[in-house]
Amino acid sequence: MNFPLGLWDISLWIAVTAIILLVTSELIGPYSDYFGDFVIEKTRLRLTALVLGAAFMVTVILRVVMPT
Amino acid sequence: MASKDSKQKKKNNSEETQHPVTVQYLMKTLQELQSEHEALKRELLRSRRIPSGRIGAALLIIGSLVLIGSVLASSATFAFIGLGLTFWGALFLFARPIKFVRSTLLDSTAITSYTTVDRMVQDLGYKAKSIYIPPYPKEAYLPEYLKGLKEMVVFIPAEDSATMPTLEEMAKKQFLLKSPKGICITPPGFGLSSVIEKELRAGFTQIRPERLYDLLPKVITSNLELAKSFEMKSENELTHVRITGSVYSSLYSREQGLRSIHFLGCPLTSAIACALAKATGKLVTITKDNVSYDLQTIDVWYQTLEA
Repeated sequence: MNFPLGLWDISLWIAVTAIILLVTSELIGPYSDYFGDFVIEKTRLRLTALVLGAAFMVTVILRVVMPT
Repeated sequence: MASKDSKQKKKNNSEETQHPVTVQYLMKTLQELQSEHEALKRELLRSRRIPSGRIGAALLIIGSLVLIGSVLASSATFAFIGLGLTFWGALFLFARPIKFVRSTLLDSTAITSYTTVDRMVQDLGYKAKSIYIPPYPKEAYLPEYLKGLKEMVVFIPAEDSATMPTLEEMAKKQFLLKSPKGICITPPGFGLSSVIEKELRAGFTQIRPERLYDLLPKVITSNLELAKSFEMKSENELTHVRITGSVYSSLYSREQGLRSIHFLGCPLTSAIACALAKATGKLVTITKDNVSYDLQTIDVWYQTLEA
């Protein structure tokens, strides 16, 4: 009854999700000509993307500090 | 006599032929407007029908169940799916679509006050000039009879070379001032300036003017998305602001023909004048404005005056 994902798997998932969110938040930013009118709380989306990016960095540091 | 009759007949005929055209045109316009109204109604219903909150909650529940299932079944694939669904469910709840109004509605609500000011200024025969008077800070102690000085006002003088009204006169919160002659109104951008203060989490009176040059562009473009780009710089005792893609740009169009917008400023440029007046503690006036032909770029020059 263990959780089936390891730290490396979660790290990979976080990295992919963070990239998707960062690209999305950049695309729908107010400076974008094409998706600039997208009506969503962009600041919160960007915040989530940045938090996920930071979480990924934490997992990388953990891998460096504790390789096994 | 016969020629007179024939002329009258012709006139009547021409009126008859013109009239159906007008009626047809009006009917057609009415039909178009009705169909547009129906389309907007449908759009509104559609947007109401799919609340992102419900989708988010559904994803969150399904994701949690899949995650629990993945632990029970020790399946990495299910764990990834569950993690993804839970995350996107939470994200849908966290970053919801926000309510919005069409920018045309913004204009139509603002036009009324500008038209009123136009009529007043024209009727009173005043010069097209405005002076933004900074209020006293909210924290400052003032006796009861001077409490009115804590409100931001814009003074429209009767003459170009008018002196400023006295503190006592302004504290009375009067609309028509007698000495010097002029009117005192609330700036059109006062509400917006309060919103900007909320975004900055500080009053303009607590911000140095130089810092304002760095803070305002970010708040106006990124936080409030009132313009596509915003530049603010100091130019020989003047403050030059260049706004591109402002949501209020159509107020400057020639069709609107508003005069007061050039000396009072649109809600955004007026809010900047309020911010400058509060930050510097000096009187601020809009000396010049220049709007590009396509209304995309608005240049405004502000001048600070000693009281």
